[in-house]
Amino acid sequence: MFSDVNYDIYPMNTDIIKKLKNELEQTESLESLQDIWRVYLGKQGAIKELLKNLGKMNESDRRIKGPLYQKIQQEAQALIDEKESQLKDTEETRDLQKQAEKLGYEKPKIGHLHPITQTIRSLNKLFLSMGYSIMDGPEIETDEYCFKRLNVPENHPARDMQDTIYIEEPNFLLRTQTSSIEAHVLEDYTPPFKVVCPGRVYRNEKANKSNHFIFHHYQGIVVLDRVSLKDVFGTFTLLFRQMYGPKTEIRYRNKYYPEVEPGIGPDMKCFNCRGKGCTICKGVGWIEMGGAGIIHPNIMDMAGIDRKKWMGFAFALGLDRWVMAKYKITDIRTLLGGNLGYKYFEDENTL
Amino acid sequence: MAEIWDINTLKMKILYSQIKDLVPGVKAEPREIGEILTMIGFMMDSLEEVQYLGKKDYLLSLEVRQNRADCLSVLGLAREIAAYYGLEVRTANAEQHQEGTEDLNIKVLAKDKVRRILAVKLNKIENNQSPSWLADFLSFYQIKSVNLLVDLSNYVMVLTGYPSHILDAQKISGPITWMENGKSFSSTKTLDGTSLELKKGNELIISDEKNVLALAGIVGSQTAAITEESSSVVVEMALYDSALIRENARTLRIATEAGNRLEKDLDANSLKYAFNLLIGLITKHCKGCLASNIFHYYPHPQPPRSIVFDPCLPSVFAGINISPEKSIDILKNLRFVCLKEKRGWNITPPSDRIDILLEEDLVEEVVRMVRFDTIPADETPALQITTNITPPLIRLTEKARDVFSTLGYDEILSWPMTTAAKNLLTNHLNWDSITTQNSVNDECPDLRQSIAASLLLQEEEYHKKNIEFIDIFEIGKVFGKEGKKYAEYEFLGVLSRGSQEKTLQEFRKVVEVFFRSLGIGDIEYTRPSAIPKTMNAHSSWGIAVQDKSLGIIGKLKPPYAEGGYFAEINLSALASIIGKFDSMPAVELNQKLVALDANVELEKNESIEALLKHASQKIGESRIWDLRVTDAYPINKKIRYTVRATYREMNDQDAKSLHLKVFNLATHN
Repeated sequence: MFSDVNYDIYPMNTDIIKKLKNELEQTESLESLQDIWRVYLGKQGAIKELLKNLGKMNESDRRIKGPLYQKIQQEAQALIDEKESQLKDTEETRDLQKQAEKLGYEKPKIGHLHPITQTIRSLNKLFLSMGYSIMDGPEIETDEYCFKRLNVPENHPARDMQDTIYIEEPNFLLRTQTSSIEAHVLEDYTPPFKVVCPGRVYRNEKANKSNHFIFHHYQGIVVLDRVSLKDVFGTFTLLFRQMYGPKTEIRYRNKYYPEVEPGIGPDMKCFNCRGKGCTICKGVGWIEMGGAGIIHPNIMDMAGIDRKKWMGFAFALGLDRWVMAKYKITDIRTLLGGNLGYKYFEDENTL
Repeated sequence: MAEIWDINTLKMKILYSQIKDLVPGVKAEPREIGEILTMIGFMMDSLEEVQYLGKKDYLLSLEVRQNRADCLSVLGLAREIAAYYGLEVRTANAEQHQEGTEDLNIKVLAKDKVRRILAVKLNKIENNQSPSWLADFLSFYQIKSVNLLVDLSNYVMVLTGYPSHILDAQKISGPITWMENGKSFSSTKTLDGTSLELKKGNELIISDEKNVLALAGIVGSQTAAITEESSSVVVEMALYDSALIRENARTLRIATEAGNRLEKDLDANSLKYAFNLLIGLITKHCKGCLASNIFHYYPHPQPPRSIVFDPCLPSVFAGINISPEKSIDILKNLRFVCLKEKRGWNITPPSDRIDILLEEDLVEEVVRMVRFDTIPADETPALQITTNITPPLIRLTEKARDVFSTLGYDEILSWPMTTAAKNLLTNHLNWDSITTQNSVNDECPDLRQSIAASLLLQEEEYHKKNIEFIDIFEIGKVFGKEGKKYAEYEFLGVLSRGSQEKTLQEFRKVVEVFFRSLGIGDIEYTRPSAIPKTMNAHSSWGIAVQDKSLGIIGKLKPPYAEGGYFAEINLSALASIIGKFDSMPAVELNQKLVALDANVELEKNESIEALLKHASQKIGESRIWDLRVTDAYPINKKIRYTVRATYREMNDQDAKSLHLKVFNLATHN
């Protein structure tokens, strides 16, 4: 903006700007810039002195030099402002550099949920979306709630010492099935209700690669005004397709369980051989997936539920083999033993 | 997953040629028959092409439902096939035989354990090796051919489902007696040479004056074993108290085809047909004649049962339309007698269907024959809306899992079985250990009293496997006996194997995050009533909320987890008070916060928590933003705490005035 000024006519004034430029070039801090400003533009600064001297000049000199000195003042101020801006940028950068931190390379350790928990959660999510509640019950059970109230006959093999772990035979035992929760729910709650009960159960079996004396069941109990086998089948189909994909084929056949009448067994077409028969499905082409049926009238009566008003269905699934298949675990003992490890930094989508 | 509710799977085989013989109208191929049987309750687990009588045949292997002992027979399965196709079964004739004059000397002492006995003595028997048709047939059932008499007995068992026992009459001395053993005999040798000790006393045996002749319903003894030289025999066929047979078989660890059938409830009325069939076959193939009259013990004949039935009910249960006429037709095909009466249909099941007791059993019969695959399975049920009755404990356990996994802790699940020694080390509650009576796991017969037993075991395993970061938690049951009561509670256990960077203070903060995320900030760390032997007594605290003891936290004593940290919280107890906490941390902020410090000196035994609680009440919920200890140092016998109170919605002057009042500070002008 000052390019039109002819400094050559007034060599002394040209020297001021040149001198200022030289000093500014050598300045590296805001403090010294402040000093320069004082030398040139402060009250006693060189340029201020020039402006003060205008009053002592005659009229014609003042007309010529007045605008010139004003422009010198403006140019000096602009140069100092520009330098100040440069210095501020540099200083801030230095400060920021001092404060700067690295992102680092270490991955944070994340916590993990047990595969059984994750499977239960995915099932719970489905049933919660259908308006079910979640329940649990005691693991130390009585013969009454584990067998009698579930219509299990006195001489049923399940009651044998060889199959049940007893604490005080015959009355106190470790529950062999989550149906015992059903007996409590039927007794303690007034219908209507829809409930699922994930839980741990115990059988008196030697633990080996494919069997354990502790495993996990997933029980469902529904008591409403009216239910039918069509509802049971619809629920199962939804469940299996959610777990195994929309093309999953399920068949339902008649089975016997003391807890239900009629009783059904859902089978899933073998995912490995598509029904042709292989080692996984033991050559049958189908894999048995659990049990279900309409709650037996004796059970309803023992719970004091009026059968003229209410009907119910129940179902039960085993979880351990599902989990083993999903996580490629070959030994069932891994699920509850010390061999299940979590990779510290492996990502995991728990949604 | 087959063993969700059922324990033992029963198997039965049938030849395709037998089906064609017994149900002459059947046109279906073997596979189709197998698939039909599968759908109506007898899953085909194999279909094998075999050779029988020099021809190609098929052997169907089927699973039989626990309550269908009648189908542990060729005849039972044939009846099912006939019912499905609406055809008749052609059974072999089993005529009454001309009885002999000799009195058969039999005593029944165990009267309430024996349901029915039929027995007869035959003389002039010519026993031989079995012909190939019989030996080959039995081989399909893994029954080894012995001799003609024994094989015919087994043949009738496979055909009808009723086992029998043939004794060499010349080897018997005195009356044949059905009795509970008591102390009469201490041992016996079975037909296959196995020596058995009879210890319990309630073994049901068949004996003579000197020996055990058989373990009734299970296996014969060598004493009166049939050989090819046997010419005078006693044939007996009997039914017993099935529970006792099962108990004896289990106790004596004997599994036989006979025991497998007689430990289930079989129809007593059909026994006579099977008995006559066997006698007919013996006299036909081994010649001989009936030397005695037929001994018949049947004190309580099985009465017929009739059930009132609404034929519309199958439709209601299935959720599809099944006409009443169709329901009745199906029952008739199943050999049920159906009579229409004023009050409805009166249905009488055939005698061999002892599983049919209720109207719902009839419903199942109809629906299974309609077949479950005719019921739509693709419709998502629109079930009635119901109240959520999920108890707080379930939500609490899920919350705990979320909090600890988010904080970098891994969830483990482990056996709740442990040893008495481990319980002694880890228990900190006032209760006794529970021992199981018959656990298969002999090494760990007790139920854990603390999650520590499991977490320390897991830590050891991880340590052995060089796992570096051990921050683990488990949620599960702990058990103990409180007086005469068996008690169990849901507990959360957390274990962190300390590293150099970690301190107990940091571990305490982790545990507090859980409590605070439940709205519980007022946690008291108290002197624990008992300190487990695994923990450092100088660095262990009880955890209490609202004076309720909830658990324990502290430092482990080396070598346990190398002196890491452990906390245990009783979630069952926590769930019972969780509803009382309803905090509202989100507030509207209109003024700047005013933070003021106060120095407070307390005796060492005085509680800073109590002071903070008191101060908090004096300041009031609407004016407090934060209140915490920022510093603490000891001065002689006291501790000086610096407490920072932050006030909201107050100006500087008002906040200062309140601050001075709350902390009893002198005003200096």
